Amino acid sequence: MAYPYRHEKEVRLMSEAFGDPAARTIEGWRARGGYQGIARALEIGRDATVADVKASGLRGRGGAGFPTGVKWSFMPKDGTRPHYLLCNADESEPGTFKDREIIRWTPHQLIEGCLVGAYAIGASHCYIYLRGEFFEATQVLAKALEEAYAAGLAGKDILGSGVEIDVTLHVGAGAYICGEETGLMSSLEGRRGEPRIKPPFPAAVGVFGMPTTINNVETLAAAAHVARHGGEWYRQWGTEKSTGTKLFCVSGHVNRPGNYELPLGFPLMELIEDVCGGMRNGAALKAVIPGGSSVPIMDAGECVSCELCYEGVEAAGSMLGCASVVVMDETADIVKQVRRMADFYAHESCGQCTPCREGTSWAARILRRIEDGRGTEDDLDTLMQISEQMTGTTICVLSDSLAAPIISSIQKFRNDYLALIRRGERVGAA
Amino acid sequence: MPDNGRKPETVALTIDGREVVVPKGTSLLQAAAGAGIEVPHYCYHPGLSAPAQCRVCLVEVEGAPKLQPSCVTVAQDGQVVRTDSDEALEMRKGVFEFYLVNHPLDCPICDMSGECKLQDYVFAEGREHGRAHEPKRVFGRDDFGGDVLYYGDRCVMCTRCVRFMEEVAGDPRLTVVERGSRAVIDTFFDQGLEGASFAGNVVDICPVGALVSKEFLHKARAWDLDHTPSVCAGCSQGCNVELHTRDNLVQRLKPRENQEVNGHWMCDYGRESYEWINRPGRLESPQAGRGSRRKPTDWRDVLGRLHARLQELRGAEVIVIGSPLWPNEGLAALDALAQAAGQVSRRVFRSPRAQDEDPLPGFPLLIRRRDLAPNVDGAGLLGFDRDGSDVGEGGLDGVAAHDGILLVLGDELRDQSEEFGASAALFVYLGTHDSPAAANADFVLPVTNFAEQEGTFVNAQGRVQRFQQALRPPGTARPAWLVLGALAAALAGNGPPPSRADGAFAALVAAHPAFAGLDYDVLGVAGAPLADAGAATAAAAGQRAP
Amino acid sequence: MSEAPFRNPGWAGNTGEFDLAEAEVRGDSYVGERPLDGGHPGASPSLPYMLVKKDPSAPLFEGPYQERLDKILDRYPTSRAALLPVLNMAQELRGHVSPGTMDEVASLLDLGRAYVRGVATFYTMYNKRPVGRFLVQVCTNISCNLCGADEVLAAFLDHTGTELGETSADGNFTVVEAECLAACGFPTCVQINSRYFEDVGADDVTAIIERLKAETGDARL
Repeated sequence: MAYPYRHEKEVRLMSEAFGDPAARTIEGWRARGGYQGIARALEIGRDATVADVKASGLRGRGGAGFPTGVKWSFMPKDGTRPHYLLCNADESEPGTFKDREIIRWTPHQLIEGCLVGAYAIGASHCYIYLRGEFFEATQVLAKALEEAYAAGLAGKDILGSGVEIDVTLHVGAGAYICGEETGLMSSLEGRRGEPRIKPPFPAAVGVFGMPTTINNVETLAAAAHVARHGGEWYRQWGTEKSTGTKLFCVSGHVNRPGNYELPLGFPLMELIEDVCGGMRNGAALKAVIPGGSSVPIMDAGECVSCELCYEGVEAAGSMLGCASVVVMDETADIVKQVRRMADFYAHESCGQCTPCREGTSWAARILRRIEDGRGTEDDLDTLMQISEQMTGTTICVLSDSLAAPIISSIQKFRNDYLALIRRGERVGAA
Repeated sequence: MPDNGRKPETVALTIDGREVVVPKGTSLLQAAAGAGIEVPHYCYHPGLSAPAQCRVCLVEVEGAPKLQPSCVTVAQDGQVVRTDSDEALEMRKGVFEFYLVNHPLDCPICDMSGECKLQDYVFAEGREHGRAHEPKRVFGRDDFGGDVLYYGDRCVMCTRCVRFMEEVAGDPRLTVVERGSRAVIDTFFDQGLEGASFAGNVVDICPVGALVSKEFLHKARAWDLDHTPSVCAGCSQGCNVELHTRDNLVQRLKPRENQEVNGHWMCDYGRESYEWINRPGRLESPQAGRGSRRKPTDWRDVLGRLHARLQELRGAEVIVIGSPLWPNEGLAALDALAQAAGQVSRRVFRSPRAQDEDPLPGFPLLIRRRDLAPNVDGAGLLGFDRDGSDVGEGGLDGVAAHDGILLVLGDELRDQSEEFGASAALFVYLGTHDSPAAANADFVLPVTNFAEQEGTFVNAQGRVQRFQQALRPPGTARPAWLVLGALAAALAGNGPPPSRADGAFAALVAAHPAFAGLDYDVLGVAGAPLADAGAATAAAAGQRAP
Repeated sequence: MSEAPFRNPGWAGNTGEFDLAEAEVRGDSYVGERPLDGGHPGASPSLPYMLVKKDPSAPLFEGPYQERLDKILDRYPTSRAALLPVLNMAQELRGHVSPGTMDEVASLLDLGRAYVRGVATFYTMYNKRPVGRFLVQVCTNISCNLCGADEVLAAFLDHTGTELGETSADGNFTVVEAECLAACGFPTCVQINSRYFEDVGADDVTAIIERLKAETGDARL
């Protein structure tokens, strides 16, 4: 067996070839049905492709969940200025590890998605902004891209259609904030990766001042399948508002962590108990972060009936985000983990907006003091207020992303904090 | 009136309950400012791009899901905006608390104290007590080179300075290094602002005490300074400035906005060229008599004797030496007196000139001009010709031995010998300081410099600009126009002389067609172009040609 | 995996069920050796190797690197956009980005020196000072942290005899703490130069260090 994380309940549209080295090559990928999506898109035309993706209900997989077809339809149609597609492969949300798997196992899947997206928005150039740390995955993608160019699947006159789409790999250099779409544009332009105020929106004034669409790796990979099979086909999975399949990145205290591609709406507890082989050492579930470190932490009670779709997780009090499920058992030290997240956000804040620049590092210092047993109960009130002051007050949502785990952890795991504050006792070891 | 499409489109909105009508495209912050409502702001500056990153200009806009940055939110018709709603105030209070988390609170030793926007806003809207007990981050002090010193701990990271150097100065020597709470403004290691000729502006636009002037460091407290609208005397651009004075001394110059001349900016050369105004050793009372016979006297006596002498010599050949450091009113009165006294054979001035011009790339109207005096163009319009070299010396051929009337205003004749004017029938020296070359002057009259009076200069654009009196004159020194105007009127017998600056200006307008149509009151503090500013500039340019 | 003497040969999910060789998992068998000139122009900005041998005075942009630079410049509408790829290339050759390197890059791309410094200091992957032959980056973010990353980091520091961020006396190792490396299902993830080592436990550290010490001259590392 090649890829160790497999489960019968999975619906593997994007992940079927994970762990299959033969699927990396262009021959291998074509043998598995690759590049039929772009062929069909070129056949039915740009507008029909956008309509298909709209009809599919596909939502952005980078975290915000914005309908992809609608986003594509924002792009101007006049075509007097160059349009750009940016593929966001700067995967760095803690808990998320799906895009790297797509790139290193199925590089042609991503290239095809980029071609479909670029064609649909009228872009003749697509930049794939790769996380700098992804040396190995990037080399796989580079090789695949050269194969695609050699096969006439990229560059001038794609598949004899007269359509020209160039694809360029662009490697970042270590900054979480470049995963934010306007930060990514700044970085691609050779600037500090500082997010920009919207409006103007990227579809009007994007990278290099031109109309731009930014899509996540998984979104484009899914779009390639939609382009091949049509919008209605994709709706057979998932819920009314969250269609299709999603890669769930499960990490933490489960027996079989990994990437699982499941229909949206899949029950959280079934994911943990069945698909992931249950809790490690049979320990009790304490908390779950369902969508990457930027979303509110759920306690065990909230997990019970939670369905993993955009609306389902929202109903449970959190957000699906990029479906990065971090599972914590009773040994988890919530205060330490929240402090570690605060350190992360303080480290990654770009420093433009004051609430984020000052708030994240201040919160991290307070949390460190509490962790060291020198906190007071007033600190919890201060943390709550700082978090509120960091929510909705900045250009991007990086500081909101720290506020969410702080607020939710104090609300749901207050006793963990109080044990440290009152008695100097840590709850949990990890 | 029919709308011919030229009328700018406007939008009407409500800000804090007030109806406001502004041109389409105006930001909420500007619209509020127009209605007299100041929304706190740091990163926004009218002369720079707006990154909307300081987050203190957040206001409530009815219908918007969250507070909006007023600096980049464009006013819309029918919008209802509250800058002082509970939510906006609460949020800003929070943001100001963040600003103080790492701030050293060193107001007692900070130059900006008293005019600091952090101090002001926190006092107006901030929390009474901070809640940050953690150890503060420390950056310390960094010499940025030139006249600029950086206190990183006081910095609010608004990046105005970085954007000024990049967008306006076109010389990106400042940058933000690192990120997050470790972010700080810096230069390229030890290569700082040395030689950057407009870098002093970063001190002006710094809203807090992060960037300060070395020259001004610990020199005066903001609240002890008087601010007087004036014009920079450093070159013929005539940047609008404020003279900041204390103890009857100019302490510093700050640019004053004028979009027709200097925008919000001024050059470092002009900013640093003010010490001459404070130069001690002033002539304080009129004196009469040559060489060892020189005796102090009073104005009544000296004017009486001088008038009598001019009467005696009426019709003689007159040579006039003026100075473009003096305003139009003084130069015009000098000319008027010369004409009343006799046959004017030469009107000259000498003035230093730089090798080349120094424009500000991001605001091309502003150029540090070659002429390093404020009224070269005014002097030209009033009939004075340039003489001497580019260091403001030499020339004056035959003047030293002139045997007629010699009238000198403002030129200290430093390059001339003690024999200067020895053969003159009458040698009158009006100035601020005595000079060896004035030894043969029959009358030495103390006059005020431009900062001690009000008046006008004409800049290189042909723009007439008023300045106000910032300093008390020393002793009994009087404005040149007052002294010369009285003598000229007495000689010509044509009515009472002007007794105020506006009268002096009116007199020069009447006598010199180039100034036709200008009114002293209408000039205001912003000035106005000459009716034929283009021709004046061309004439001045021709006159400047070697 | 048979050649690897320890549990973690360095790829995802080695739970004993994986039957691929390391080269297949890493993609080496597919990629082969990427050319120094960047290969196809579309892929040319994507070669930020971290070489084992780091020569702080190596000339920039000569030979194949000049070719790669030309291709990179051709891929963007502005020369400013080439800044990150060019800094990547400079670091590939020299191991870190010194003030002198920033200066050279600034004049090459006609950008302000201070501007280049501002950009270089924004990104954590640009080493602002020299690092050891092997830069060991241990993820300690949440998923790895829940599974013992702190112990792994401590083990690396212990076995290399260094302090966090310092370079070992033999010049071999610099150990730093890294933010999430996007391999959360395979904790703890450690990036060593260009390679990911996953599923690393504190017990594995000795073997990894021995393996690294034995490796010489591989340009990919």
